[in-house]
Amino acid sequence: MNILKKLLLPVVLTCLSAVETQAFCGFYVAKAGASLYNEKSEVIMVRDGQRTVITMSNDFKGAATDFAMVVPVPHVLKEQDIRVVDRGLFDRFDAYSSPRLVEYFDPAPCGYREVSVVTKRMMRSANESTDDVREQLSEVDYGVHIEASYTVGEYDILILSAEESNGLKTWLIKNGYKIPESANEVLQPYINSGMKFFVVKVNLEAAAQTGYQYLRPIQISMNTDKFMLPIRLGMANSKGEQDLIIYAITRGGAVETTNYRNLRMVTGRTVPTFVKTHFDRFYTDLFARQHGNEGRNAVFTEYAWDVTPNWGIKCDPCVGNPPQYNDLISAGVDWLDMSNPQGGNGAFFTRMHVRYGRAQFPQDLMFNTTSNRESYQARYIINWPAGGDMSCPEARKYLSGLPNRRRMELMELGALTGWDISLYKQYEQDGMDPGIREGEQKGMLPIRYNKRNDPPAGGQGPVWFLLAGILATGLLLALPVLKRAHP
Amino acid sequence: MATVFPSLRQQDPRNFQLLYLGLFLSYGIAFLGWHRDWFQTLVLWCSCLGTQYLFCRLYGKSLDALKSAMITALGLTLLLRAGSPWVYAGAGSLAIASKFLIRFRGKHLFNPANLALVVWVLLLKQAWVSPGQWGSSAILIYFIGAAGMMVLFRSSRVDTAFSFLGVLFVLEATRNCLYLGWPADYLFHRFSNGSLLLFSFFMITDPMTTPDRRAARMLWAALTALITFLLGNFMYLQNAPVPALFIMSLCTPLFDSLWKAERFQWLPRKTSNYQTI
Repeated sequence: MNILKKLLLPVVLTCLSAVETQAFCGFYVAKAGASLYNEKSEVIMVRDGQRTVITMSNDFKGAATDFAMVVPVPHVLKEQDIRVVDRGLFDRFDAYSSPRLVEYFDPAPCGYREVSVVTKRMMRSANESTDDVREQLSEVDYGVHIEASYTVGEYDILILSAEESNGLKTWLIKNGYKIPESANEVLQPYINSGMKFFVVKVNLEAAAQTGYQYLRPIQISMNTDKFMLPIRLGMANSKGEQDLIIYAITRGGAVETTNYRNLRMVTGRTVPTFVKTHFDRFYTDLFARQHGNEGRNAVFTEYAWDVTPNWGIKCDPCVGNPPQYNDLISAGVDWLDMSNPQGGNGAFFTRMHVRYGRAQFPQDLMFNTTSNRESYQARYIINWPAGGDMSCPEARKYLSGLPNRRRMELMELGALTGWDISLYKQYEQDGMDPGIREGEQKGMLPIRYNKRNDPPAGGQGPVWFLLAGILATGLLLALPVLKRAHP
Repeated sequence: MATVFPSLRQQDPRNFQLLYLGLFLSYGIAFLGWHRDWFQTLVLWCSCLGTQYLFCRLYGKSLDALKSAMITALGLTLLLRAGSPWVYAGAGSLAIASKFLIRFRGKHLFNPANLALVVWVLLLKQAWVSPGQWGSSAILIYFIGAAGMMVLFRSSRVDTAFSFLGVLFVLEATRNCLYLGWPADYLFHRFSNGSLLLFSFFMITDPMTTPDRRAARMLWAALTALITFLLGNFMYLQNAPVPALFIMSLCTPLFDSLWKAERFQWLPRKTSNYQTI
């Protein structure tokens, strides 16, 4: 068996250059039993041909000494393939591509038309921590080989290969890592695929020298046929579902998942004005509900746009600055030719959001770069009622239509988020009250409270539709024959 | 009932295909959030039916073959995605024209939809396929529905589908579960893919482009599964069945010359005195 493995390994390795974009996807391995949940992570993936650059950020909460990350990679990475980048890159990409709320003001029915657009984006809370300790690695032979060892930025990095998962697990435990029991299930397939393990810890001295108060994102580059992100390892020490935001940049067009349903988040809906002060919660609940409705195993695209520098409008409306040339370069985009922005050198940006758990996501995420360059954004709209003079006949018509419009907005809100809209009945009539109308415009929103329903367990559309369709099809085709058989 | 089953097989199997593919499509649009641009879909259908009509007139064939063109159009509507109507127009015309222009010993060589996918998705990279669009929860229904109906209406080609799926399943299970050690749900997820089933029951089973003899056909389908497995697991090709079928289509004449059998007709011979395309 070993001989067979040795013979096969080079072949498997060559082919298997999985991009394992391990999103960080790796798992955090706690030492000293700290309780760690990597419930949310962000990854930037840049893919051009076989070259893949993955930048991994994390919201690791804990002492830096406890931080560790294990990411399967397709081959032994060289030192120049590993970099640390500034955390600001993620903040800028996030700010640019978050789901957004746009507000419009109704034109005054009796006066001049005022149009204003304000935008608001989903806020993200990010925090990191520092501190750390250097780990002494003991000499081992558990079938684990240290293929390479580097210090990059504030991190000590090892590239390990292993012969079997128990050995790797024991080695990691012996070196002070706490490995979840369930890690075995995924370590073995990765080992059998010939993958290496990119193991990261914080180097305290180096971290002190950088002067950063947080752990910077790590970026790795590799060449691989497989365009994927290994999320399975990340499930090993997480309870329940976790969120992953993926920013993908390609030359061709939008990126989509090929082994899970990839949907665009519902967009362009008009919602009540009070959503403005609750937008974060609105979107969080909207996402939870859509996620549930779609069977908890869909991947949502939240943004897709051409971000080629020097070219075109990159958002409408913009909630953050579009990625600049330097940002794209830091993310690993190396094909841009500034002298010829259109000559097939475009950069297309896709933001995907996936909430995954072990039961619904048995496979790592696989991706495909499509030729789809259509712009898309998750965008929600509020319409402020008009203020000012309401004496003309047009105003009467306008005002009489307002409650109905607001009822529709409420129903939309209920359908999107599952909020109990009966609590907001008054909102329909508020539009008729000049005092409240003016107040709303000035930002004095009525105080509201929300009641959130649990998101539905969800399936993927009624299966009865298919069953009934199949039956009907059968009958339709069988009837003439039956008639002939029994005239 | 005994008399019903044999007589059901006299039905033109294309009726069943049209209804079933239409059902797939409406389910996807209604419940799975598929986006199909109406204009682009119209362009695709016009190009398929228009090309078929022109060639039928040119070659003096019966317009009955428009039904085949509709199946190709439906299949491409389900699978092919592109950003420009030109791609749809090109794909539709290429698919249908290939049936008339690329022929060998009186049979067209390539499954029309398959050729369009190979050219536009793999070679020109102007279009793409979304194998993830089907979701996984209704997959059993897809399978039972498609397989059941095939057995009921058209037993003559279902052997191809089962041979393909069976061999592919054994290969995938051996590598992913036995060798690599992934749990069983990993394997099932690989198969819970509507595109694969659509391919198995509606594309690889195309009687016009598969070998005529049953044993030859099953071997041919098994080889298609082997190539699919190799392309998918070692070259990481998305939609590996598509190029696999393309490669094996080239071998169909060889299979036909080694194992001779009566040529397939869409309609029973007594009612059809013309050769359909």
